[in-house]
Amino acid sequence: MKTFLIILGVLAALVVAGVLFVTGIYNGLVNRGQAVDAQWAQVENVYQRRADLIPNLVATVSGAANFEKTTLTEITEARASVGKVQFNPGTSPTPAQLAEFEKAQGQLGSALSRLLVVAENYPSLKATENFQTLQSQLEGAENRITVERGRFNELARDYNSAIKRVPAVFFAGILGFKDKAYFAAAPGAEKVPQVSFDFGKKEPAKP
Amino acid sequence: MKSFLHRLALVATLLWGAALPAAERIPPVPTRFFNDYAGVVSPETREALNRQLEQYERESSNQLLVAIFPRMESGSSVEDFTIRIAEAWKIGQRGRNNGAVLFAFMQEHKLYIQVGYGLEATLTDAISSQIIENELKPAFRSGDYDAGLRAAVRSMIAATKGEYKGTGRTHAEGNSSRSGPPPFWVIIAICVIGGYVILSIRRSGGATLFTNQRRTGGGIFWGGGGNSGGWSGGDSGSSSGSFSGGGGSFGGGGAGGSW
Repeated sequence: MKTFLIILGVLAALVVAGVLFVTGIYNGLVNRGQAVDAQWAQVENVYQRRADLIPNLVATVSGAANFEKTTLTEITEARASVGKVQFNPGTSPTPAQLAEFEKAQGQLGSALSRLLVVAENYPSLKATENFQTLQSQLEGAENRITVERGRFNELARDYNSAIKRVPAVFFAGILGFKDKAYFAAAPGAEKVPQVSFDFGKKEPAKP
Repeated sequence: MKSFLHRLALVATLLWGAALPAAERIPPVPTRFFNDYAGVVSPETREALNRQLEQYERESSNQLLVAIFPRMESGSSVEDFTIRIAEAWKIGQRGRNNGAVLFAFMQEHKLYIQVGYGLEATLTDAISSQIIENELKPAFRSGDYDAGLRAAVRSMIAATKGEYKGTGRTHAEGNSSRSGPPPFWVIIAICVIGGYVILSIRRSGGATLFTNQRRTGGGIFWGGGGNSGGWSGGDSGSSSGSFSGGGGSFGGGGAGGSW
């Protein structure tokens, strides 16, 4: 009878220890996942910042005498298609959603860079304070996008490796933790808007 | 054998030397607000701006720094390198993220103003860009670094004024006295002293505590207690003009340029 109680006690202790162990892992994964989702909100934020500059940019540029209409419609269309990409609110995107987002934002980015290249042919437009302000804001938006994307990737990588490491890997699948998508390492579209800023010498492409 | 070792050492030195310029080095956290590592600014301007920036942190809690480097020790772009420095230095107060740094790299002729999250609304990209275009570039081109930096610091202060209220002390000053838990050894000392006092009370029955203590050499412990008093005021001398990062974060705001 006494040995039975001891065995029972040991078993109960093991079960409690096991539950605590899994709870700890689970909470750790939840925290990491939340960090990724929060950072995704920040990423959307900075892309939105760029998109918000566009109406003002289009208005400023179309004020210039016979500015090429094709670049302007291109930008307006690209911006509209960016708005069409749908996400589940509050969580980071699935790989398919992220790919769609990347494509739309990439198109917008290259349309913007084309506009800035075309603007080189309009010295009177380039000289206006309004345009110069917009240019620095646009550059700032691109920098913020780079920074927040980088941080998103770091957090997503951290989470993805956490669910694949040894104790967690046995439960992560059962508990419903899935890989988070992250941005491609060096998307060509991302660099394009950088080149046309004319702050002195042209900088080499980002790594 | 010896010559082989010699040659090995030589090769290693050469490799090290060759690898060094390419390797990135995040500069250590500065101890001042105005840091001229390149030695291009006059001592008067250096002192004046350092005092001005320190006083500005007391008034506003905003941490504005200037860092002038002889060259950029990184293969990365200037905006990428400088944001990582600003993050590593933890400029700005925690929670407010109200820091900004003006970087200059003399050899590359590059300028960059990194703006923390909390100051992005006041020291906007457009204003940062204007400071660089209108104040820094012309002065740096003509070699009048003092004038350019004085003007830039004035503009950065003007742009960020009023956004936050200061506490009357800098983060460096705030740290050195009141705030924060006492160091570990102080706690240990208090425990030892407390334990000693309790033991002596028990042994002597309380009434003869003081005579007992004197007899058993308690003065040594009280000497330690006297030292612990030095901890609270001891750092005040070093905090004058010195910078300590408050824990702020950066998100890529600001602007850059080349002169």
